[in-house]
Amino acid sequence: MNNYMDVLKPNGRPTRSTFLIMVVVQVCLAVLLWFLSNSPLLPTPIEIMSALKRLIVSEDLLPELWTSMALSLESMGIAILISLLIAYATVVPFFRPLAFLVSKFRFLTLVGLSFVFTLMTHSGHTLKVSLLVFGITVFLVTNLVAVVQSVTRNELNHARTLRMPEWQVVWEVIILGKFDIVFELIRQNFAISWMMLTLVEGISRSEGGIGTMLLNQNKHFHLDAVFAIQIVILLVGIGVDQFIGFLKNLFCPYATLSLDQR
Amino acid sequence: MPDAQRLATILKAENISLTLGGNPILKDINVEIRDVARPNQTTGQIVGFLGPSGIGKTKFFEILAGLIKPTTGQVTLGNPLRPVETGMVGVVQQNYPLFMHRTVKSNLLVAAKKLYPRESEAMERMRYMLDRFGLTDKQELYPAQLSGGQKQRIAIAQQLLSSENFLLLDEPFSGLDVNMVDEVSEMICEIAHLHEINTIIIVSHDIVATTAIADTLWLMGRDRDTNDKPIPGARIKHSYDLIEMGLYGHKDILESSSFRELVKQIRGLFHTL
Repeated sequence: MNNYMDVLKPNGRPTRSTFLIMVVVQVCLAVLLWFLSNSPLLPTPIEIMSALKRLIVSEDLLPELWTSMALSLESMGIAILISLLIAYATVVPFFRPLAFLVSKFRFLTLVGLSFVFTLMTHSGHTLKVSLLVFGITVFLVTNLVAVVQSVTRNELNHARTLRMPEWQVVWEVIILGKFDIVFELIRQNFAISWMMLTLVEGISRSEGGIGTMLLNQNKHFHLDAVFAIQIVILLVGIGVDQFIGFLKNLFCPYATLSLDQR
Repeated sequence: MPDAQRLATILKAENISLTLGGNPILKDINVEIRDVARPNQTTGQIVGFLGPSGIGKTKFFEILAGLIKPTTGQVTLGNPLRPVETGMVGVVQQNYPLFMHRTVKSNLLVAAKKLYPRESEAMERMRYMLDRFGLTDKQELYPAQLSGGQKQRIAIAQQLLSSENFLLLDEPFSGLDVNMVDEVSEMICEIAHLHEINTIIIVSHDIVATTAIADTLWLMGRDRDTNDKPIPGARIKHSYDLIEMGLYGHKDILESSSFRELVKQIRGLFHTL
C-alpha cells in the first residue's frame, strides 16, 4: 500500500509495476470519459475509427502520409546538415556573427516569408522544403550553438594535455563528446518540424500531404476525420521520436548510463 | 630519508608573472625541482603545492602545464631542460575529466597513440596501464559506470600515457575518506617512483596528506602592505625541502613530532598568505 502512495508523493519512487498499473488506470479513465462525453465538438472513438477507415480506403491517407513524411525527412536532413555546419563553425570566432544572425531569424514568421520563398523557388515541393528547412534551422542552430558554447575550458584543456592539436580537440570534445546531446536536439526539433508541416502544406497544396488533407477536412467541418488525422499525426510523431531515441541509444550507449540514477 | 640527495634540475620556473585584465595574478615566481636520487633505488619527485583558495594556484598550474603563456618568464623541464609545451605535462583536474563517449580502454588508447603511434605499441602500453591500475576488468565500461576512485585512476593513467614524466594533480584528496586518502597517497608514491625523472606536483588543501608524501613543499601567498592588506600578485612565499628537514620517506612520518610541528607551522602560516 505504501508503494501505491508513492505515486502521489513529491519525488516519489513507485516500483515499475505500480507505475505501470497507474498508467493503465489513467488511460482507461481517459477512454471512459471520452466514451461518456456527449460534447458535439468531440466525436466518439467509434466515429473516429470509422472516419479513419474511410480516409484510408477512399481518400489515400497512407500515400498522403508518406508524402508528408518524405517531405519532413528531406527537410530535416538538410536542416540538420546546415545547422551542424553553422554551429560547429562557431568554434572559429569569425563565424559567430553568422550563427547569431541565423538564430535571431527564429522571430520571423513562416507565413511572412512564404512570399519571398515563392519568388525564389520554382515548385511547390521546393517551396515547402525551403520553408521547413528555414523553420527548423533557426531553432536547431540556436540550440546547437548553446551546446558548443557550453563546453568548458577544463574539457578543452583535458584534450589539450593529451597532445591533441586544436582541430582534434574540437572533434573529440565538441563533435564526438556532445553527439548524444545533438541527437536529443534533433529529436526535439523533429517535433517542431512535424508541427510546422501542416502549416507549410497549407501554404502550398500542390503535392497534397497529410497537412493538406487535414485542412480540407477542416474546411468541410468533418470533425471525425479531423480527429482521425490528428491522431495519425500524433502517433507517427511519437513513433519517429521513439525511433530517434532508439538511434541515440544505439550510437551513444553511454548517454543513459549513470551510477546514480534518480 | 638517509642517502637521498638532489641532483640535476628537471623543472625550472623563472621570473613567472601573469597579469590578466590589468590585474597582477602572479608575480616573480622562481622555483625549481631537482632530481631526488637514492642509491640502488628509483626515486621520483613529489612536490606539494599549498595555498589559500583563489590565490592563483590554478593559473600557475596552467602555466606549468604549458596551457597558458605567462606575461613574463618561462618554464623549462626535462633532462636536459627545454621550454614546456602543451602535452609535456599531464594534468589531472579535480573532477577527473575523461571522454565520456569512450570506454575505459578507448580513453587510454586515444592518449597512448600520441606517444606511441604504432597500434601494437599503443595497445601494449594501454594494457600495461590497465593492469598496473587494476582496471583490466573495467576496460569495456564507460566512465559513467565507474566510481570516483576508479575515474581518478583512469584519468591518471590516461595522462601518464601521453605526458613526459611530469604530472600535475589538482586536489587528489578532495572528498576522500581516511582509507581512500591512504590509498591515493600510496598510488601517488608508486607512480612517482616508477621512473627517476617522474615528478608529481600536487595542488591540495589537505596539508597533512600532502606533506606526508612530498619531498618539497611550496606555499603560495601574497605580500601584505603596512595596513596588512594583501598586495595583488601571488608568489611562492615559503619553500620547504623535506629531505633536508629529515621529513621524507619515513614509514611512521605521521607520528613524528617534528612532522606534526611542521604541519602546525604551515597551518599558522596560512593565515598570513
